[in-house]
Amino acid sequence: MKNLMKLSVLGLVVVFLFTSCAKQPTQQIDEAKAAIAAVEAAKGNIYAKDELKKLNDDLQAALDEVNAQSKKLFKKYGKAKEMLAKVKTDAEAVKALIPARIEEAKNAALTAQNEAKAAFDEAKALLDKAPKGKGTKADIEAMKADLAGLEAQLTEVQTAIDGEDYFGAKDKALSIKDKAAAIAEQVKAAIAKVKK
Amino acid sequence: MKWNAIRAALILLCQLSLIFLLQSCQTAPAPPEVEQALRQEQDLWRAGASIYAPEDYQKYRGLLATARKFFEQEELKIGYFRNYDKVKKDFTAILAEGERIQKLVEDKKASLAGEIVTRKKDLLARYETLNTLSLELSQRTLSRKQLAQADVLFREIDRFLEKGNYDEARSRLGPIDSLLNQAENILRQQLERYMSQEEIARWKKLAERAVEKSRSANQLVILVSKLERKLVVYRGGEPVKSYEVGLGFNGLSDKLHAGDNATPEGEYRVIKKVSPSKFGKALLINYPNEEDIKRFNEAKKKGYLTASSRIGGLIEIHGGGKDGLTQGCVALDDPEMEELFRMIPVGTPVTIVGTTDPNNKIIAILRREQK
Repeated sequence: MKNLMKLSVLGLVVVFLFTSCAKQPTQQIDEAKAAIAAVEAAKGNIYAKDELKKLNDDLQAALDEVNAQSKKLFKKYGKAKEMLAKVKTDAEAVKALIPARIEEAKNAALTAQNEAKAAFDEAKALLDKAPKGKGTKADIEAMKADLAGLEAQLTEVQTAIDGEDYFGAKDKALSIKDKAAAIAEQVKAAIAKVKK
Repeated sequence: MKWNAIRAALILLCQLSLIFLLQSCQTAPAPPEVEQALRQEQDLWRAGASIYAPEDYQKYRGLLATARKFFEQEELKIGYFRNYDKVKKDFTAILAEGERIQKLVEDKKASLAGEIVTRKKDLLARYETLNTLSLELSQRTLSRKQLAQADVLFREIDRFLEKGNYDEARSRLGPIDSLLNQAENILRQQLERYMSQEEIARWKKLAERAVEKSRSANQLVILVSKLERKLVVYRGGEPVKSYEVGLGFNGLSDKLHAGDNATPEGEYRVIKKVSPSKFGKALLINYPNEEDIKRFNEAKKKGYLTASSRIGGLIEIHGGGKDGLTQGCVALDDPEMEELFRMIPVGTPVTIVGTTDPNNKIIAILRREQK
């Protein structure tokens, strides 16, 4: 009887050890979450969309694993810890990628802005030297006013760049470039009309 | 003999156990559907399933997570006990569901793109009308700024649609609408008088009086119609010559004061023939007449004009080209001006009106827009 009591107590101790010693990896969870938040803060949702999505998926999988283990009698958080550590490492790697991508987007926006400005300046120069001959004066005035509208849009490109909206700035700049090129073509047509 | 048989049996048993163990250690290949489903989930997300089919996508992800869990558990088993039948079945079902969601997303995107394209088409039609109207005017600078900005936004929409970025594309529709409203308001302010049947009737009366004057006194009379940009010379009540003319930068407005670049409306006469003038030959008219002076003084009294405003003068019919944008004068091409100059004596009545056509082009364009 005495032995049976001893065995029961020992059994309970073993069960207690197995169930309570394996604590949830809260620190690792917090670290993984913080690493993902840092990616978001670094504009990962714009410049590393796919990677951020994968990080969130991996975090979710790790949290599912923690959750599954927490319901078990014999908890083993080793795999979850590995998963969380990987999320953290991956997040840090993704965060490190972002500055280069931002730089790349910024350069693309600046290039597009320069192209738009060049197209605008070309149209303006053409207009300035266009002969205001028969049948063109009013057209030229209209085109000058069109260019004034484009100038306002060019300011918006700069505003977008200042606000670090590089993709938006690039799209607007390229649209301005197209419109400026169209105006330049109209000016050339007006010049040709005078020459006839 | 007996021992030999036992030994042989033991060796055979060992060999069979070894084969069994080797087979158990072999990893059976995971069904390809697992990898396909994981790739599909990424593709769905990239296609915007979380935006265009959020509930279906969420359920799909739930199913995928459960199936993955089961797959992982199965992978933990020793090869011999591993059975991928359920895994294959589950992932096949998930792939089918994914395909359904993919189609749903594509349909929704196509519908949204269609909606944007339709709205863009409506706005584009409005833009074309306003653009035509703006270019029809003598002062073509009106509302051009707004129209050029709208044009840039239309181009942005095309770029976004091409990239499948529908939210950005849609976000440009509102600003375009607003720019077109601004352009329309600017044009309306200038053109309202040309849509007023009362105003047109008043102009018509002035024009009829000019023609009648020409008939009754059998004299030359000049009638200028600003909207049509026409100068017609009447003799004996009949048109004998017609010329296209250019007007001021603000030519469609009625002149009120110096520097407004508007072309005056009313009954005038040629008071001097100027040759040479700054713009070839010129016929100076008696602007301001009594009516102009009265209107100017009233405007000043009511505070519409500053105390330092002047009424202006030196309004001519001159050469220099009908395409010229004047400061309020009526301009003709030089050869035609030469002809007119020879024909017209000092004292010839000159009537300038907005239009005499109750179905003039502005009304026609705006009617077209309303349709």
